[in-house]
Amino acid sequence: MDVIVCVKQIPDPETPAAAFKVDEAAMQVLPAQGISPVISPFDAQAVEAALRIKDASGDGCVNIISLGPDSARDAIKHSLAMGADEGYHLKDDAFEGGDAWTTALALSKAIQHLGVPDVLIFGRQAADWDQGTVGSIVAELLDLPSATVLRAVELNGDRITVSRVVADGFENIELPTPCVLTISNEFGDPRYPQLRQIMQAARKQVTEFTAADLGLDPSEVGAAGARVQMHALYQPTSDVEVEIIEGDTPEEKAAGLVNALREAKIL
Amino acid sequence: MAGVSDVREIIAGDGETGVEITRNVRRWVDEQVIPNATELEHSGEFPARIHADMCEMGIFGITFPESHGGLGLSFETYSAVIEEISRGWMGLAGIINTNVIDGWIIDEHGTQEQKDRFLPGLATGEKQGCFTITEPNAGSDAQAIRTTASRDADDYILNGNKLFVTNGDRGDVYLAMTKTDPSAQPRHRGISAFLVEKDTPGFSVARTIDKLGYKGPETAELFLEDARVPADNLLGGSEGRGFQQMISGLEIGRINVASRATGVAQAAFDAAIVYAQQRETMGQQIAQHQAIQLKLAEMATKIRAARLLTRDAARKKDSGQRSDLDVGMAKLFATEVALECSLESMRVHGGVGYTKELPVERFYRDAPLMAVAEGTNEIQRIVIARRLLELYKVE
Repeated sequence: MDVIVCVKQIPDPETPAAAFKVDEAAMQVLPAQGISPVISPFDAQAVEAALRIKDASGDGCVNIISLGPDSARDAIKHSLAMGADEGYHLKDDAFEGGDAWTTALALSKAIQHLGVPDVLIFGRQAADWDQGTVGSIVAELLDLPSATVLRAVELNGDRITVSRVVADGFENIELPTPCVLTISNEFGDPRYPQLRQIMQAARKQVTEFTAADLGLDPSEVGAAGARVQMHALYQPTSDVEVEIIEGDTPEEKAAGLVNALREAKIL
Repeated sequence: MAGVSDVREIIAGDGETGVEITRNVRRWVDEQVIPNATELEHSGEFPARIHADMCEMGIFGITFPESHGGLGLSFETYSAVIEEISRGWMGLAGIINTNVIDGWIIDEHGTQEQKDRFLPGLATGEKQGCFTITEPNAGSDAQAIRTTASRDADDYILNGNKLFVTNGDRGDVYLAMTKTDPSAQPRHRGISAFLVEKDTPGFSVARTIDKLGYKGPETAELFLEDARVPADNLLGGSEGRGFQQMISGLEIGRINVASRATGVAQAAFDAAIVYAQQRETMGQQIAQHQAIQLKLAEMATKIRAARLLTRDAARKKDSGQRSDLDVGMAKLFATEVALECSLESMRVHGGVGYTKELPVERFYRDAPLMAVAEGTNEIQRIVIARRLLELYKVE
């Protein structure tokens, strides 16, 4: 069974809060000094899901697509090191400044260019902007059935049985192929790449596609084609003040607390 | 830790591969080793799950030839990986070390048949190699060993005992230094090395020895009582070359020890600089006190120097040039830095650093091992000085 996984390289979500900075004027996140970007953790789980499908089906390929600047290559290489077969990098200055829509458009063109596989897998959301929409938009553009936020994926002949994480429990459904899946963190940990596979991945060529290679006009992608307009980007600040309620007895303290809560109009 | 990773990633040897491998091992150490190390270390148990992970990832085989199941990568990459692992738990580097030493010696000096028989298992970590020179009366003066090997038809009969054998209770193959000619002069001409397998009749593990730190790999004493070893297991197939063969492996061991010292020092520093920004005294973070700042600056500077010295020594080894001086300097310097940083980190922490609640006490117990193992730092200085006097000889 052939699978394509779309992955994204993002600022390391483990970056300490103190090292996270945004340039409010340019409305951009500034890369943290000395902390390398990483593959979005949900996407690493998506690669894991794809590799398990390949193992269970006994044949097929797991191919990786990533849209992004030079650093996106590392997310592709990481996926290859985990065991994926081929990597494709959508790299073009025209892609810069895009949104979920332009990303999904470019990815869907690349998928059509490579041939729609049996299963298309995404992380439930990129762990930087957390929008969680690219997978669903690609499904819509390619007119494919989709199931999102999955904690389990099983092959069932040529159909796929999945378990979705929903607000009040789990929802088990079956999909035909080809289909689009998005993987949630409940799926489980991705494998650690073997050092030999890291070595082989480092030697492997990654194919690059520009907008023109995919038949896209520069006006359709990147900032030019974006449908979301950002008005401001800033780090929220939270000022927490602590007030100690004094009192000689627990009863006095409790009465003081009730008064304070009333004053704050919480009670 | 932020800010230093760029320096940690100075690995020229294997290009992108070396950097990627180091990053992946770092992530595994952060996720799997650091959260479990202290509890496992205090329990004294062998870390079976972590060991299985290291085998699965292929960490044992980094420097082994590709023809025998290894990755054929540089000692520079190996050094960076050992540093990362030791940042989590120094003992793990000791489990790897004896396989890598044995593998290098067998690849360099063994017969083709010995390479084919022993290298694949050592490269995957499936087989545990051990490296035994030390005896009750022979440590730094290795030529004073008393274990004998005498030829008997197609076998050799080995008698003696070996002390402080790292991984000795779980060993599958023991590279052992013996005397085939106890009366030879100079003494090293009578020394031969054997690959002693664990099921050899007459071979036994006498006991394991408890230690201050360096838990994980056990340390054993071995008995060889009329142990019958096939002549095919004489390293390289000829007698009298064992001393040079075994000593050549010490450089590999010292690259490992210098790298693990850098890792322990880094872990001690990481703990100190975080704690210094959490702990407040006299109305401010202790990191704002000059007394603490001086310690942090000293530690970071020395760790960076230790790392660069160690990688440089590894590069020299990779180049195929004689590297005893470079490796010796790295081992000496980095292990002294580890000792100093583990104590300084404890001072930054104050009382809590002395408790078993935090890993600093573990770093403090692990650090001295490295100053006395793989050649004490006193012998190390003598070796360095002797080599310098050769290089700077005045006629």
